[in-house]
Amino acid sequence: MTNEAVDPKNIYYPPGGILIWIIIFLELITFGVALIAMVYEGKANPVQFHNARLSLNVTYGTINTVFLLTSGFFMALSVKEVKLGGKQKLKKYLPATILFGSFFLLLKCLEYYEKIEAGFGMGHSTFFNYYWMLTLFHVVHVIVGLVILTSVYFGRHKQSTTIEDIEASAAFWHMCDLIWLLLFPVLYLFF
Amino acid sequence: MGKTIANTWTVLMILTITTALISMVNTTYTSGLILVLATFKFLIVAFQFMELKRAHFLWKFLILSYIILFTIIIFIVAF
Repeated sequence: MTNEAVDPKNIYYPPGGILIWIIIFLELITFGVALIAMVYEGKANPVQFHNARLSLNVTYGTINTVFLLTSGFFMALSVKEVKLGGKQKLKKYLPATILFGSFFLLLKCLEYYEKIEAGFGMGHSTFFNYYWMLTLFHVVHVIVGLVILTSVYFGRHKQSTTIEDIEASAAFWHMCDLIWLLLFPVLYLFF
Repeated sequence: MGKTIANTWTVLMILTITTALISMVNTTYTSGLILVLATFKFLIVAFQFMELKRAHFLWKFLILSYIILFTIIIFIVAF
């Protein structure tokens, strides 16, 4: 295994590989279109969307942003360490990446619990239909990301685990950050 | 520890706190400002954490085009 196997300046080898970047753009377009549709509907029902938005907990959203960005920070450090010192360096920062990702999920579960208890479930209003659809779809990505990172962590001893695999899993994890950075302002602050 | 990565995280934290503070002020420009800050955070994560700064021009162009187009469409639809 080489520490710097491919030239990232090559058009076919963006960091993590071309396939993960095709997935990233498809995901970004999907979430982007849904958010634009939400803003469009919000324009037609500004009072309903504003009142519904006020029932969301901005503090939870902000703390979750901090959790995901901190997790992304440790992921970026992991990739840097791996490139400098090999796959075994994953054990230095990857557990922190997984930990902060798990904190995000725990806080999201608490938020969901409070929303359901308060009667703001799916079908409550158009705003909450978008809220549940978008945030649950994002949570699924976070769960998949955590499974991938855990698998990379325990597979670090395997010969078949390459730097490109680690970079691709890092790119997927950062994609969860990117999506959240679009969801948070529109859902929690915009209306 | 990577100094650039740590600095990037610090900037992201400052922008996140700024966004939360701005959201408490209710003015005509609040929503727009929040979106612009989100755009900056998006680009910082893409270029620094995802290392797009080292990638081929096409990938930088695509991510820039995406976020600029997204922000413009949201502005057109909302305002």
